[in-house]
Amino acid sequence: MVRWGMLIDLKRCIGCYSCMIACKQDHFLPPNIFWNRVLISETGEYPQVINHVYPVLCNHCKEAVCVKVCPSEATLQRKDGIVHIDYDKCVGCRYCVIACPYQQRTFYSGGDKGYFPGQGLTELELIGKKLYPLQPGTVVKCNFCEEKIDEGICKGLKPGVDREATPACVNNCPTKARYFGDLDDTKSKLSVLIRQRKGFQLRPEFGTDPSVYYID
Amino acid sequence: MAMKSYEWMVGYTPQTEWIERRGILIWLAEVSNGIGGGLYLVSLYFNSLLGMLLSWLIIILLKGGFHFAYLGKPMRFWRMALKPRTSWLARGFIFLTLFILLGAIQLILSYWLPGTALEFAFKVIAGLIIFLVVINTGFVMNYINAIPFWNSAILPILFLSSGVLDGLGLILTIGLFKGNIDMMAAEAGTRVLLMINALFITIYLWGATYMGPTGKRSVIEIIKGGIAPILWVGVILCGIIIPFAISISSYFIVEASVPLLIMAVACEMAGAVSLKYLILKAALYSPLIPTPP
Repeated sequence: MVRWGMLIDLKRCIGCYSCMIACKQDHFLPPNIFWNRVLISETGEYPQVINHVYPVLCNHCKEAVCVKVCPSEATLQRKDGIVHIDYDKCVGCRYCVIACPYQQRTFYSGGDKGYFPGQGLTELELIGKKLYPLQPGTVVKCNFCEEKIDEGICKGLKPGVDREATPACVNNCPTKARYFGDLDDTKSKLSVLIRQRKGFQLRPEFGTDPSVYYID
Repeated sequence: MAMKSYEWMVGYTPQTEWIERRGILIWLAEVSNGIGGGLYLVSLYFNSLLGMLLSWLIIILLKGGFHFAYLGKPMRFWRMALKPRTSWLARGFIFLTLFILLGAIQLILSYWLPGTALEFAFKVIAGLIIFLVVINTGFVMNYINAIPFWNSAILPILFLSSGVLDGLGLILTIGLFKGNIDMMAAEAGTRVLLMINALFITIYLWGATYMGPTGKRSVIEIIKGGIAPILWVGVILCGIIIPFAISISSYFIVEASVPLLIMAVACEMAGAVSLKYLILKAALYSPLIPTPP
């Protein structure tokens, strides 16, 4: 069975925020909604300072807490491991937002005035609202560009290899720090890199078994 | 706990969905949960129909109303019953719905057919259901591993004892104006429960310091951070010390004066409100990435 996962090479990541912006553009996300973020911290003391740059997104956990706590079955885990939100079923209780240890879910309250307040929505924003409508009053999050994956598979493309079937953040990374593929395929580039470079998950003590790995 | 945007999930990040902006409704719903649920349990004990009616109204109008108003899509509320197998929120919704229905039947029976076996049976059932409603909040919160401060087994028990204490305060108020309540028993119960509640709060905060650095940080925020006045003035002074002092004085004077009793009840309510606020406000998420100590 396929289990889609992502690997982020922290040695290649330069913290350019391209993934954040690519995701926003691809999904026409309104202001203050981010499905991909870049966290930066520093440890150590001058002159021995280490900069930590971590792109973070929904981990599509194998043991997703959000799936368990959702009272209305709006949050489901697909057979391929993608944690999917059915916006037509979400009641907006935000229990999943509270429960997520990675805080990668956002409540969309609607009423956004676009990126240029006072000037109305641009043509692109209007197109975005038709192409990728979000329901106000529901919770939204990264979906691994599932629509691209599904369409790509229908066309016989391979997610993680063919750009058309690969998440936007992976495609747009200028340093090729992101990999996407099947975690259950031991021979996939993703699985090989995780084994060879000792990939780790964020906060494994939460017991969620994330599908996003990091190597450094 | 003012946080800069670049500190989000890099430092300790406070929970905001259930306490800030519209999240205030959750706080109010949980306060109503404790007060309404506790009053119902206490009213069952003292057989006060007025108490039972008031608590039923508090639960349906205030708790139910605040929860309903908070939902992003309130007209889909019925969907919340769909997943009781894994979701404490779904279970809570089912308990709430059952209490509203069975509580209404119990009230009708208590008014029209008091003292019958059927009335007694419904009192038992409604009492069990409201018990589940009151402790459910604790389970909704302590299920969340992401917030170490909430991840405590004592939380449901604390909510229950706090709720029953509120109920005793309100039943005293009902007794003052309507009579028909054993005031000495209610005051004795209050005395004991004030001590038990103080003990539970102490155990809860002390236990939270063992829930890792994030749990400890939550406790530090409560004890000496920006929200410390709410603990010391709201929970401890108003919620415990003043009512306890009045309660102890009534033990020696036989019965405290009406203004003093009302002051004790008002302080207890303030304590309950403050406690729920603190628990929601002090909740922190652990940093996701390595950060300076």
